[in-house]
Amino acid sequence: MKIVVCIKQVPATGADKRYTDDLRLDRSGVEAIINPLDEYAIEQALRLIDEGTVESVTYLSMGPDQAAEALRRALAMGGDDAVLITDPALAGADEWATAKVLAAALDRLAPDVALMGMASDDARGSLVPGAVAAMRDVPLLSYGAELALSDGQARVRRLSPTGYDWIAAPLPVVASVTDQVGEPRYASLKGIMAAKRKPMETWSLADVGLSSEDLRGGALTRVTDSRAPEAKPPTERIENLPAPEAAAKIADWLAARKLI
Amino acid sequence: MSNDILFLAEFTSGAPARSAIELATGAAELAAQSGGDAVALAYGPGAASGAASLGAHGAARAILLGDEDRPAITYAPAAVAAARDGGLALLAPATPNGRDLAAALVGLLDLPAFGPVRAARVAEGVLETEQATLQGSVITTSRPVEGTPAPAVVLVLANTFTPGDGGSGTAEVVEAATAAESALAKASVAESHEAEAKVVNLEEATVIVAGGRGVGGEEGFGPLRDLAKALGGAVGASRAAADAGWIPYQLQIGQTGKVVKPSLYIGAGISGAIQHRVGMQTAEHVVAINKDPDAPIGEFADLFVVADLFQIVPALTEEIRRRKGA
Amino acid sequence: MTYLLTADHDELRAMVRELAEERIAPRAAEIDEKQEFPWDLKELLAQQDLLGTCFEDRHGGTALDTIAQCILVEEIARADATTSLIPIVQKLGALPILLCGTEEQKDRYLPRLASGEWLIAFALTEAAAGSDVAANRMRATRVGDGYVLDGSKRFITHGSVADLLTVFALTDAEAGGRKGMSAFIVETATPGFDAPRVEHKMGIRGSPTAELTFDRVEVPLDNRLGEEGEGFRIAMATLDRSRLGIAAQAVGIAQGALDAALAYAADRRQFGQRVVDFQGIQWTLADMASQTEAARQLTYAAAARVDAQAHDLPYWTSSAKLVAGDVAMKVTTDAVQVLGGYGYIAEYPVERMMRDAKITQLYEGTQQIQRLIVARQLLQRAGVSTKG
Repeated sequence: MKIVVCIKQVPATGADKRYTDDLRLDRSGVEAIINPLDEYAIEQALRLIDEGTVESVTYLSMGPDQAAEALRRALAMGGDDAVLITDPALAGADEWATAKVLAAALDRLAPDVALMGMASDDARGSLVPGAVAAMRDVPLLSYGAELALSDGQARVRRLSPTGYDWIAAPLPVVASVTDQVGEPRYASLKGIMAAKRKPMETWSLADVGLSSEDLRGGALTRVTDSRAPEAKPPTERIENLPAPEAAAKIADWLAARKLI
Repeated sequence: MSNDILFLAEFTSGAPARSAIELATGAAELAAQSGGDAVALAYGPGAASGAASLGAHGAARAILLGDEDRPAITYAPAAVAAARDGGLALLAPATPNGRDLAAALVGLLDLPAFGPVRAARVAEGVLETEQATLQGSVITTSRPVEGTPAPAVVLVLANTFTPGDGGSGTAEVVEAATAAESALAKASVAESHEAEAKVVNLEEATVIVAGGRGVGGEEGFGPLRDLAKALGGAVGASRAAADAGWIPYQLQIGQTGKVVKPSLYIGAGISGAIQHRVGMQTAEHVVAINKDPDAPIGEFADLFVVADLFQIVPALTEEIRRRKGA
Repeated sequence: MTYLLTADHDELRAMVRELAEERIAPRAAEIDEKQEFPWDLKELLAQQDLLGTCFEDRHGGTALDTIAQCILVEEIARADATTSLIPIVQKLGALPILLCGTEEQKDRYLPRLASGEWLIAFALTEAAAGSDVAANRMRATRVGDGYVLDGSKRFITHGSVADLLTVFALTDAEAGGRKGMSAFIVETATPGFDAPRVEHKMGIRGSPTAELTFDRVEVPLDNRLGEEGEGFRIAMATLDRSRLGIAAQAVGIAQGALDAALAYAADRRQFGQRVVDFQGIQWTLADMASQTEAARQLTYAAAARVDAQAHDLPYWTSSAKLVAGDVAMKVTTDAVQVLGGYGYIAEYPVERMMRDAKITQLYEGTQQIQRLIVARQLLQRAGVSTKG
């Protein structure tokens, strides 16, 4: 069986981030990492290889040339090869455009499972898995704490406030997993060295059968304004007081805001 | 193009989910601005009999997608058929089910989508949304690009719209149009396991008392539970506490856990690292209790109490009980 | 000659640093306090292919250049000096085999060392023979198809946890240490071998420094390294290379101390300002940083010369170890000073780093021995005759 893991390169959490003059996210000069939530998808795919259920894992990413770094890091953890889709028309692509491109690429790669993390760190919309499934007309198995494959079927174990369910669908599927999959493995030194030799292809929009018109300029929404949030009053501090006095002050503070 | 404001209304165990009621309120507000109706897309167990009651919260109509207990994503084809009739906007809860349905609509109808918004309005007949981005350091205003299909999908976090006491109206319930065949309908529940104890849905809590590494262990959460109870709220945790097994994973707040928006968040023994912050920074009031005066949480809390949480939390619980009793 | 730090070096450094910060640093205080060998971290390093960097591909290693091997040690030592000894001693123990073993001996033993399945230690020092290696007294008596080893060793790093040892013993006692010593590969499971005690030390407390006893330990002929009488030469050739590992360790310890001192000074406030804003503290930090960098670059320069098989190899490696060891001691002492009273207590790591740093001035040739080596090379270059 074959899995394609979709990953995204994002700015490191906590890095200094800004908008450019044309109100796009300024990704230049910032340390880039694999979207942390995608690492769980990578880990899940590699576990299925370890178990022998899956024979091949391909990584797919859409982004600027620099995104090839994220693909190499993924290959260093394991897996067989990678595809980078890069095209000037994709700058500033929103989730819809991203889903459209990934869906087209996935149709070409035709995996049994297209696997993703549950959301992206910087944009947090998490609509890509569902949109890709809809565009490709395949079932969606989302928010899995675990992915299992058997004859012609995929299942995810999804946690709920009342326990968990196993949700199943016939292959091929789009699936997304959460951090409950477990700690992603470190790339070993041999893995890092081997990753340099694993095949990586670069595709343009045309290679997946799309044109920039198909993407309507890359985004269906646009930012019309950006501003700093309302200034918050500075943090009030309570320190060096005995507990009962401090507690009384906190209660006063809460009462003043009608919270108790 | 119609000026209606659609919204997803999930029903579970025979009653509308809290999100359904909140979105009804929000949709009604927007509908008043757009001059259209608030229209529910109701699905899940109890939707057939309960959809009309959404009228009490401002829905004029309810389109019944289905009444069965099946994974929310399988209702996507029916939702698409309903949304195709048009509308200015479609509100979806920023929950896993809401996001999946929203995503399917985006994928099938090429709709513009706005990630969790802090505010939405209709200005000059156009939908406008406000989002906090880059860890809350920038507020952006966005609109759909001209000429894109309608409705625009808007993800809404819990506690963004506050339901009022509810009126007396009932919504007119109509059956959904026939849905097209779709592979999305092929997911089904193969096995179901109930846990021993039901875990509170943190995303809906208005008061959260969260514990982090400083709590030190499972027993340490006792005082936090007492405080949460005194405040009528829920207990949450940082990733460190959840990973250590001190509380269930479903109570983890942060980048890989829940995103919460309570009116009051009290973080005890939590340092306030960015991975946790992104899960709670839109809380209305943030109180931090930490014995480290330089903990990062002190920078964005509204009130920072530098003290030992095991002294302060019980004292605060007692003080609150005293005031409530009085 | 020049040396180049490549993107591969940076990538290796980033990889090891991540591992060190996430998994090794959090264990450092506990390892020091409990004086326990960190088996879990040894497993981690083995799994990450970090114990095989000095071995060839064909033996399951990754054959990294010497600069890369130094970077590996440096980044681990920055987090914990004890743990950095694991790759250091794995190389130290294996060097005699790498330098003088037959292909058959290498094929027999190196794969298990490269994978980290087995640990190896270097057993040269004796109670009465430290700096004076030639004063060794342990005997290896030729008996039938092999040798019988009798005697004891002292201060053998990892001697009590190793599966394999390279051991130096006299096959010809009359000829004395320089001409009569031979080298052997000994499996510690062999009957008659024991590690009866380990030392209580000032620093690197999680690393077992063992006394070893050999009571009629039988060693087959094909476990002898090189010819009889070559032992001293093999030992010196080994130390000429292995001391670079100590230089790298010292650089790492210094860097860790510098980082800790800087972070503390940037945070701590006295007299209404941050400690780091006092010019005097800035000068101290600047000295710490530039000295650490100098030690680092000298270590890399020496590493490049090892790979180039320079004829004056010992001049370089001894210089690097000499400078780096002294820098580590100075920088860690300064770090404690910058932290003031807090530097003295176990709540902060710098007191441990200072205790750890001291050993880099002592083992694998004391600083005094290094000076002798450098001086000898210096005189040789200048054509000045050396006495005796």
